[in-house]
Amino acid sequence: MDYAVRIIKLSKEFARIRDWPSLLSNPFRNNQTLLAVNNIDLEVKRGRAFCILGPNGAGKTTLIKILCTLILPTSGTAFINGYEITKDDQKIRASIGLVTGEERSLYWRLTGRQNLYFFATLYNVFRPLVKQRVEELLQLLSIAEPDKRVGLYSAGMKQRLAIARSLLHNPPIIIMDEPTKSLDPRVSQELRIFIRDEFVHKQGKTMLFTTHNLTEAEFLADDLAIIEQGKIKAQGSWDELKGNYVYP
Amino acid sequence: MFIHKAIAFIKRDFSIQTSYKLAFILHWLGYFFPLIIFYFIAKLFEKAQAMPLEAYGGRYFPYVLIGIVIVNFFGARAGIFSSSIRREQLTGTLESLLVTPTKISTTVVSLGFWNIISSTIVAFIYLVCGWLFFGVDLSNANIISSIVVFGLTIICSVSLGIISASFTMVYKMGDPVSYLFGNVMGILGGVFFPVTMLPKGLRFISHFLPITFSLKALRLSLLKGYSVGQLTTEIIALLLFSIFLLPLSILIFKYSVREAKKSGSLIHY
Repeated sequence: MDYAVRIIKLSKEFARIRDWPSLLSNPFRNNQTLLAVNNIDLEVKRGRAFCILGPNGAGKTTLIKILCTLILPTSGTAFINGYEITKDDQKIRASIGLVTGEERSLYWRLTGRQNLYFFATLYNVFRPLVKQRVEELLQLLSIAEPDKRVGLYSAGMKQRLAIARSLLHNPPIIIMDEPTKSLDPRVSQELRIFIRDEFVHKQGKTMLFTTHNLTEAEFLADDLAIIEQGKIKAQGSWDELKGNYVYP
Repeated sequence: MFIHKAIAFIKRDFSIQTSYKLAFILHWLGYFFPLIIFYFIAKLFEKAQAMPLEAYGGRYFPYVLIGIVIVNFFGARAGIFSSSIRREQLTGTLESLLVTPTKISTTVVSLGFWNIISSTIVAFIYLVCGWLFFGVDLSNANIISSIVVFGLTIICSVSLGIISASFTMVYKMGDPVSYLFGNVMGILGGVFFPVTMLPKGLRFISHFLPITFSLKALRLSLLKGYSVGQLTTEIIALLLFSIFLLPLSILIFKYSVREAKKSGSLIHY
C-alpha cells in the first residue's frame, strides 16, 4: 500500500517551563516534563482525506508541527511522501502545503498578490511560471481584491489566501491545522465545501487535517484518528468507527 | 537560487517599511542627528590639542564620522538578524517562513539583507554629507582599500549577527551578543575616541574586537589614502576574524535551530 504519511511509534516529551523557585532550587536539572505525543502509529493513504480529531490540548498541533519538521520527536519517526522527518526536512517541506488557523501567518502590510509572489520564491516555484501560478490561485480561491492589503481582508479571505499560499508549489500533501478555527459558521462551511470539492475530489490530493469539530471531521474526512492526551484512542474509516467510539 | 530569495526578502522588507510612511521618514531623518551633534562637539574642541588623532589627520569630526559609519554595521547591525527573527516570531509569520523548502540559514541571513543595504546607503550618505556640508576631506581616499575593508567588515558583522540570532532562536529574548557588541564596542572599539587613550588592559582587550581593526583601516584609507599594502596588518586581522567567525556562526546557528526544534520552541516567542 502506498502511504503519503506514515507515523511509527512517535513520541514527543517537552520540558515544562519552570517557575522561579524551581529554577533557583535546581538550576541545571529539569525533571518536569509533559508527554504531548505518546507513541503514535498512523498511516494515511494517498489521495485520502484523513482527520486527526481531538479536544484542545490533545497533542494535534504538536503532531502536525513534528510532521512539518518544526519540532523534533523525542522517539519514533515519520515518513512524509517517503521522506524521513529527521533527515529530509527540506524535501518534506517541498512535499507539503501547511494551512493553519492562525490569521497572522501572512504579511498584513503587503497585498495578497505581494504575499503570494514572496512565498512563491521561497517555495521554489519556477520563476517564469510564478505569475501564471499566482493568477491561477487567485482565481481558484476567488480572491477578489488581490491588490488590497491583507490586513484589510475578512478572516475568510485571509484563510483563502493562506490556502492559496499552501498550493503555490503544487504539493501532493496538504496539512491543515484547524483550518476553520477563526471563521464564522457560514464562512467555515463555504471553505469546507471548497476544500472537499477542490482538494479531495478534483485534485486528488492527500489531505491530513486536525479539528476538534466533529461535524467538520464528518464532512471532510474519509478516515480519521481520535487523539486524546497525546494518544490515539481509535482510528479507521467513518464506517468502522461509527457506533464503536464515543467522542468526548 | 539564493540571490532570488534574498531579493524577495529585500522587496518584502522595503514594501513593509515604506507602508509605514511617517515612520519611514522619521527613521531616515534620525540618521542625521548624530552628524549634527558630533559636528558641534568637534567644533567645541577644535582648538584643543588632540595628539591621539594625529595619525588620522588631527581633526575630531572626520574621525568620529567614520566611527558612526562603522558602528552602524557592528553595534546595531549585529542585532539586526535577531531582531528580525524576533519580529517574525511576534507577528506570527516565522512558522510560514520555516515550513517552506528554503533552508533556515538562507531565511535567517536574508532577513537581514534589507538592513545591510540600508546601512550601506546610510554609510554612503554620511560620507557624502560629511564631505559636502561638514568639511571632511575625502580627496585622498583610497577607494579600493576602503571597499576591501568595508567588505570584510560586513562579513564580520553578519557573522556576529548570525551568532546573535542563534541566541534569539533558543532564548527568544536576552541576546548577549548584541548586548555586548552594542555596548562594549562603543567603548573599546575606538568609535568615539582612539583606543590609544584606553588603559593598557582595556587596550589589549580591544584587539580581540574586529571593529577596532575595521575602524583603524577605514579611517586610514578614507582620510589618509592608505593602500591595501599599507593596511596589511588590519586587513589580515579582519580576514582572520572573518575566517574564524563565519564558520563558527554557521555552526552555532545550526546547533541553536536543532535545540529549538528539540524544545519545540522554534516558532514560539
